Amino acid sequence: MMFLPLFTDQISEGYVILITGLIIVFSALILLSLFFKYALPIMLYIYKVITRRKDKKITEISLKSDRNFTGEIAAAIGAAVHMYMNEQHDHESAILTIKQVKKTYSPWSSKIYGTHNRL
Amino acid sequence: MKKILLIFSVLSLLIFIRPALGLNSNKSAENITTSVSVEQNNQIEEVNSYNGAFEGIKQFYNYTGFANATSGNLIMIIIGIIFIFLGIKYDYEPLLLIPIGIGVILGNIPFVAGNQTGIYETGSVLNYLYFGVVKGIYPPLIFLGIGAMTDFSSLIANPKLMLLGAAAQIGVFATFLGALYLGFNLPEAGAIGIIGGADGPTAIFLSSKLANGINILPDGTTVKNLIGPIAIAAYSYMALVPVIQPPIMRLLISKKDRKIRMKPPRAVSQKEKMIFPVAALILTTFISPSSLPLLGMLFFGNLLKESGRTERLADTARTKLIDIVTILLGVTVGASTQADIFITKDSLLIFGLGAISFVIATMGGLLFAKLMNLFLKGDNKINPLIGAAGVSAVPDSARVVHTEGLKSDPHNYLLMHAMAPNVSGVIGSAIAAGIILSFLG
Repeated sequence: MMFLPLFTDQISEGYVILITGLIIVFSALILLSLFFKYALPIMLYIYKVITRRKDKKITEISLKSDRNFTGEIAAAIGAAVHMYMNEQHDHESAILTIKQVKKTYSPWSSKIYGTHNRL
Repeated sequence: MKKILLIFSVLSLLIFIRPALGLNSNKSAENITTSVSVEQNNQIEEVNSYNGAFEGIKQFYNYTGFANATSGNLIMIIIGIIFIFLGIKYDYEPLLLIPIGIGVILGNIPFVAGNQTGIYETGSVLNYLYFGVVKGIYPPLIFLGIGAMTDFSSLIANPKLMLLGAAAQIGVFATFLGALYLGFNLPEAGAIGIIGGADGPTAIFLSSKLANGINILPDGTTVKNLIGPIAIAAYSYMALVPVIQPPIMRLLISKKDRKIRMKPPRAVSQKEKMIFPVAALILTTFISPSSLPLLGMLFFGNLLKESGRTERLADTARTKLIDIVTILLGVTVGASTQADIFITKDSLLIFGLGAISFVIATMGGLLFAKLMNLFLKGDNKINPLIGAAGVSAVPDSARVVHTEGLKSDPHNYLLMHAMAPNVSGVIGSAIAAGIILSFLG
């Protein structure tokens, strides 16, 4: 009889945990799904509204940051890139012989083949 | 080489025969009392040394596994070999079964206690590696890797499927209650219940916190160490998902329902994918702070993947890091099944409860999916089969749902849809673990 109250206590506590646990798990995931169903689209919409202003024409874009970037610099960079690409030829392999093509044929037990094609 | 072997074998034969001869001469020496005393002394000394050698061999034998083996050790070693065999021959989750199998063998080699050999002896190497399990370090690292692997986009596209992941957690709590009725105390029952979450790392995490053999209960007794049985049960049932789930699906879902086609999920923008881990982390951990180590790492890993700036880190987390941790976790969990601690009535009960919890979790998911269908109309209806993927077991249960759907309609591809409840099941079981931990920890 001594242990009976303890035992039932545990079980009842178990039920408490069962019910609250399930409620919490469900509420957490419901909250998450509601957030992604409703709150997130609203947030994204607001973000869009904040970031998107009137579409500018290309002539309206200010060139402040590009003031130092003159046509001369562009030409210099272009020339450098062009020259660099051209020079790629100089670093090619100078050996222009035809490579030996090995036949796929491989008679693994052939004595003659073994003596002619040493690995 | 042969000569060396011959010499060696002759020498060893001599060594074994000489003591026998020596003993014989000793007896004869006792009989002949008139022999010279000096000679006798020499002989006794020799006999003593032979006896010493014998003692040494005897002592050595006592230290070997042959002398200390118990039937439990042998059974567990055979189980370990079966695990390895299943992993190699049938390709049955080899990444888990082979480390665990070799771990089971390692943990059950018989030894003399007190030499810092066994996994449960403080100071042994295995004990230091096991530290990561006992303190719950490995599971969050695994979750980091899982986060860096997982694509949550199907869940973001269809958030209502998250409820299926919650519904499958019924298995956790039902098993918890079942374990209580079977006489386990509260923390042990909580750790056993999480097997229903079908998530190996979560199960190890929770059992290392609740049923670790260290914590002391209010009535003064120490909790049992159930990490080994729980981990083995969780992982073996996860491997058995393709066997356990299909019959339940066929039992509960009508043929007509199995053919329901779901409309393809909408495309999800990168922005949403990036917001998901941060928002979900904050929301879920505010509700259940105890699951912070698991969910924190899961969403951290996912952010690494989705941010687009940390591809290197994400790549390490989902390949090298998770591999390293899986190796350590597998071997040490396997080794923790030392026979004298593992082969108990409790382990059997845990295995039984684990099977039941898987069944209940699957049923919970399936029935809840049917319930949701009552409220959904037209082409918004979901195929109830995907409810079964609400038990986590990523990605096996989603795959099972997919193949089961293909059986009733060869053109109904459910994999993408099933991944949503699948990943929400991971989140759900981590939250459930957090709740149980906050109640009982």
